[in-house]
Amino acid sequence: MALDVQTRQTDGGIIVLAATGRLDVAGAPALKDAVSEAAKNGSSRVVIDMEGISFVDSTGLGSVISALKQIRGSQGDLRLAAPNQQVRVVLELTTLDRVFPYYATVEEALTGF
Amino acid sequence: MGSKQPFEFRASFIELDEGLEVLHTSVERLRQAMGRTVDDRPLMLFETALGEIGSNVLTHGRPPGTEMPVDYVLRFEGGVVEASLTDSGAPVHEHLKREMPAHESERGRGLAMARSLLDELGYRRDGDVNRWRLVKRL
Repeated sequence: MALDVQTRQTDGGIIVLAATGRLDVAGAPALKDAVSEAAKNGSSRVVIDMEGISFVDSTGLGSVISALKQIRGSQGDLRLAAPNQQVRVVLELTTLDRVFPYYATVEEALTGF
Repeated sequence: MGSKQPFEFRASFIELDEGLEVLHTSVERLRQAMGRTVDDRPLMLFETALGEIGSNVLTHGRPPGTEMPVDYVLRFEGGVVEASLTDSGAPVHEHLKREMPAHESERGRGLAMARSLLDELGYRRDGDVNRWRLVKRL
């Protein structure tokens, strides 16, 4: 299942990337492309809506780290929303949950961002 | 079928997308056969490790020009799940002990993750092929 990424912008100017599918070695390029596009358009606050992500692997995680570097490099920030249990386990196993603040819902991620 | 019944799934594949799909499908079939849910933690941890080794094998285990497929077997018996993957890539001994990299690193976590998620991660070079063995008690 290829990763599908839909991009929308909130009224407050925050970019929400809603990803659906597996964020793995095959799906990671789609997320990287979407983040690069958002950064190119000057977006500094990005939320990745992970509700539709069924599975993440280390390469997919690498694409999220790449996104964080890219966005923070332009003085912005990135939040993760609605990761499922498998994604949370991988974040905790790699201790990247200390780097990425993640939120139960997109609404929570947008609050105060 | 109850969890005490043996389960076996065999496949050979060549392409990355195809191979990943087969690996996840095989775990889904085992999950259904065992009557477990998608949130079943031991099986989810096993699938995560299988995804790591599987993507390494599919990415590095097929040198340019080779027609050799990756051979895959998934078995469950006596409460233990075991996957074996055979590829024709270069030997990987030097990567096996790789530790979890720093947070900012974008790669190099796969083997460290798989080791910590499984009860046993076996690897041996057998002639011109790599043989991987992933074991976890469910």
